[in-house]
Amino acid sequence: MNFDLSEEQRMIQESVARFIKDNYDLESRVASSAKDPGFNTDHWNTMAELGWLGLPFAESDGGFGGNQIDVMVVMEQFGKGLVLEPFLASIVMGGGALKRGGSESLKSEMLPGVIDGSRQLAFAYAEQQARFDLHDVTTTARQEGEAFVLNGQKSMVQNAETASQIVVSTRTSGGQVDEDGITLFLVDADADGITLDNFPTVDGLRASEIAIKDVSVSADRILGEVGRGFEILNAVANDAMLALGAEAVGTMEVLYKDTVAYTQEREQFGHPLSDFQVLQHRMVEMFIEYEQCKSMLYRATMEAVKGDPATAQKAIHGLKHLVGKYGFFIGENAVQLHGGMGVTEELRLGHYFKRLVVIDSMFGNADFHLQKFAA
Amino acid sequence: MDIELSAEDLSFREEVRQFFSDNEYPAGEDYMTWRTQWFEKARQKGGWDVPKWPADFGGPGWTPTQHYIWEQETARASLPFDLPFGVGMLAPILMAYGNEEQQHRFLPDIRSRKVNWCQGYSEAGAGSDLANVKTKAVLSDDGTYYMVNGSKMWTTAAHMADWIFCLTRTDASGIKQKGITFLLFPMQQDGVEVKPIITLGGSHSVNSVYFTDVKVPVENRIGEEGKGWTYAKGLLQHERTGLAGLSGSLVALEKLKEQARSVTRGNGTLMDDPGYRAKVAELEIDLMAAEYTELRSLASASTGAAPGPESSILKLKGTEIQQRIQKLTVEAGGIYSAAWGSKPIGLPFARGGMGGYLASRAFTIYGGASEVQRDVIAKNVLGLKRSSK
Repeated sequence: MNFDLSEEQRMIQESVARFIKDNYDLESRVASSAKDPGFNTDHWNTMAELGWLGLPFAESDGGFGGNQIDVMVVMEQFGKGLVLEPFLASIVMGGGALKRGGSESLKSEMLPGVIDGSRQLAFAYAEQQARFDLHDVTTTARQEGEAFVLNGQKSMVQNAETASQIVVSTRTSGGQVDEDGITLFLVDADADGITLDNFPTVDGLRASEIAIKDVSVSADRILGEVGRGFEILNAVANDAMLALGAEAVGTMEVLYKDTVAYTQEREQFGHPLSDFQVLQHRMVEMFIEYEQCKSMLYRATMEAVKGDPATAQKAIHGLKHLVGKYGFFIGENAVQLHGGMGVTEELRLGHYFKRLVVIDSMFGNADFHLQKFAA
Repeated sequence: MDIELSAEDLSFREEVRQFFSDNEYPAGEDYMTWRTQWFEKARQKGGWDVPKWPADFGGPGWTPTQHYIWEQETARASLPFDLPFGVGMLAPILMAYGNEEQQHRFLPDIRSRKVNWCQGYSEAGAGSDLANVKTKAVLSDDGTYYMVNGSKMWTTAAHMADWIFCLTRTDASGIKQKGITFLLFPMQQDGVEVKPIITLGGSHSVNSVYFTDVKVPVENRIGEEGKGWTYAKGLLQHERTGLAGLSGSLVALEKLKEQARSVTRGNGTLMDDPGYRAKVAELEIDLMAAEYTELRSLASASTGAAPGPESSILKLKGTEIQQRIQKLTVEAGGIYSAAWGSKPIGLPFARGGMGGYLASRAFTIYGGASEVQRDVIAKNVLGLKRSSK
């Protein structure tokens, strides 16, 4: 039994924490978010130079040979700064699909750029009618000779506007909600027939709606096998949920600590707010649920690295349920206990709260994963 | 006990509906002209422009049931935009504590909506602890004016207001509830500065307001010097009742169901999802009960009693219900609730849903935070004493 990080992981943790502390004050974040491309490209290059972008890739692919625990270490610190750079989109999701399903030649063509930050990937899995179901896919891919022709629409694709390639889930056979018959393609973002509608998200990040009209993609751009894409899709979604869980835990830590600090400074009725027992107990609950989320994060991450897939899957549903539910709980109470200041854009906590709300909406909300867990 | 509407009430309801449908905003017309005319026509109906004013001051003198019917119908109709500060908040204070000269001077322009008012109560250090007013007013040596210095915070619509009614500190020697003086003065003058506060939903409705050597003639003081807290306090109970917004929630709940039915989930819609459905049902049950809490409160008010502890219950329950509706809207929006910016993405209601959710977080903070409302109930209703903290 050992919850200690390895020496290397501790060094990464310290290095990411220092980076956040030095670069991610609220004002700088708001400024980076407001101008194109919605994040700081210097920071992105720094992340590449420090080796963070190579963490979850095999050494044979030019990576660091790390696993979900390494990503967790980074994402938890990212959550404390509300990092804008497309680590989740390009490294965890796009890169995660490519490393699992790309042919050797495709990987050697694409991954070095992904790891050195010069090439970004995006991951287009969501469709409107699907709500949160990964296997509900209506975007089609029809074989024509050596190529496939793609048609459809993808929603809420994170950081697509700066991606060179986009992983797209399509249906090549079967019914709309069958797990079989889904095929993943690595599509060039500038291919004829790809149209992006870019917009900001409420947490200060960027996403796009993607229209796909008669886009021709060569068969060597298929990730995994034809019709067998669901397995990769699901594995990437699981990695993304672990990463989001880690980010949420970092975000919650800032929120509960900021609240504890603020209530000690703010005086009302001749006392610091923190003197009032009803507020003390509320903060104790925030702290307890933060710790519970952290425990579930460790459990789910360790199961994913070592455990039986069905057990890991269940723990991930549990994690996403908890961080969704308690993300709202901690975020709403942090705002409430900050009073009027909590609902302004001036303090950082509002921004952290919004990020937790968005995290709940991604890859299925608290209700969805509760039902998956119970099923 | 009898909840049936009488024949008179039913015909009143019909009359209200008729009035609303006869006076709908004609698309393309000048909005402000229509608005002015709407209030004028409502006035001619016998005080419908100021439903809550007593008959002595030109109000309609309705029964509690008629007020209830009006509330219900207004939530469904599109009435002209109106701010509560003049008609709803200052006017009752003027009627109760203002002198005749002040009533003649201010009430007509409040009623015609010609002059917009804002409420200068909260300050940076006076949030839930509202009596902790620090903005200073010093009476001139000749006793003709006050010199006001200080600042107010969270002042809704200050950037649109012509006048402010303001709590100021004229004496700091006693307990904080004493020594507060209630002053009225114009916003458009040197020494008054308004700065916007942008809230989480990205909107600008509240402001910081700064006063530097603002001269206020003594005839703009309501009542006696040092008694302003007494005048303001009574009205806070009214404000809290108004903030429950139950009739608005009834309409919002219908809209929520409609939106959830537009969201596909498997072979059906989100309203077929048992988990979501149960949450909507729980909300609906709480709202049904709260409606009757409001009716009971109205009925006791009809005997002439001031709004009592029910107003604290209603503010607590009502704002919590509003927040739950907003949160369920965000849940219904799913992935699209994250989309922000100028255009709707995916589901048409999702952008507004997120904005509404974020804005709704303030509902349990302003007008007396929920924690303070619970204190009020503990103390005034349950008779609980706090030993130290």
